[in-house]
Amino acid sequence: MKQSSYSSLAVSLDKKSTFLYTDEQLIGRFQAGDERAYVELVNRYKDRLLNFVFQFLGDMEQAEDVVQDTMLRLYEKKHYYKEIAKFSTWIYTIARNLANTELRKRKRRKTTYLSHMSKDERQYEIPAVQDNVDQSLHNEFIQDRIKSAISKLPEHYKMVIILRDIQELSYDDISNIVGVPLGTIKSRINRARLQLQADLQDLK
Amino acid sequence: MNRYQFEDLISEYIENQLSLSKRKEFEAYLKKNPDSEELVYSIKDNIKKLNKMPQLTTSSTFNERLMESVGKSNYNPNEDKLNKIIFGFTPAYASLMMGLVVAFIFISVQLINPSSDPQQFQSEYLTDEQSPRNVSNSNNIDNNQNQDLVEAIDDSIKADSSIQIKRDFSNKIQFVND
Repeated sequence: MKQSSYSSLAVSLDKKSTFLYTDEQLIGRFQAGDERAYVELVNRYKDRLLNFVFQFLGDMEQAEDVVQDTMLRLYEKKHYYKEIAKFSTWIYTIARNLANTELRKRKRRKTTYLSHMSKDERQYEIPAVQDNVDQSLHNEFIQDRIKSAISKLPEHYKMVIILRDIQELSYDDISNIVGVPLGTIKSRINRARLQLQADLQDLK
Repeated sequence: MNRYQFEDLISEYIENQLSLSKRKEFEAYLKKNPDSEELVYSIKDNIKKLNKMPQLTTSSTFNERLMESVGKSNYNPNEDKLNKIIFGFTPAYASLMMGLVVAFIFISVQLINPSSDPQQFQSEYLTDEQSPRNVSNSNNIDNNQNQDLVEAIDDSIKADSSIQIKRDFSNKIQFVND
């Protein structure tokens, strides 16, 4: 009975949503028992969170597992959300905490993470197709350099630069997610940009 | 403006968050230092590149697997009632707070109205030396005086504790004309 209701939910996940609600309205509806609102929230945030988490873990499968856990927490702990905070801040904070937990586990165990599914079963979307192969290679090179430069940043710089310059969140949201005063966030972002510039100065 | 001050303000300049006076000061510094201008341009360029980083997308089976996880989880929608927040507290904390409030009220009542039994009150508030029992046992103190004292205390306690009992003094009142 329960299983069948979830499978019907899974079907509705793939449909294009007709919701025009804000995130806060959606979580409100979900708290009131409307599971379509949950589906909409998952669709809105799964890719954003994947990009966020991937920058920390550097592993696609692990990042996706963390996003799965985040969405599961959202489902199970929906009543813990209070409208005093923005929904995006709340969900990013959950994802950040889970990513940190995963990093700590990784450091403790120092073993290779085995995902529940084999690699063959995963089908990832291929990034935008390039018309020109040379241009494509050049872009790929630049992206690799940028990723490498980001990975060299200290953790507290890395997080804020990802949230600001890749995820394009506001300073206030970043301050809430990281749990650090606004002034410190601004300073960290500025320092992170300077460090990135120093690392990428040969990249024109 | 020195180099450190300049570096601290780069992001705010790029994001147009500087005040007019600071902006003028910043731009004056840029004119004097062409390498600084190049640095600002370079950082702007990096931000653009970061913005254009290709976005990863979840696998096509993501939603399916998520729903499987949701189905397998021990989560029971009927438990929502227990998870609801009561006056900003989780049910566990709300119960604890309720217990504390009840305990506080009970203690307060005890403090305001210590005892309805005058004898108990007497034994609690009189020192050992003042206690009627000890007084009567003492050979060194005048027994009659102590007995009076004890009776006086008894009377006062009884009077206090039986405020609501109205005594009928009509028989004891004698008018002048009588």
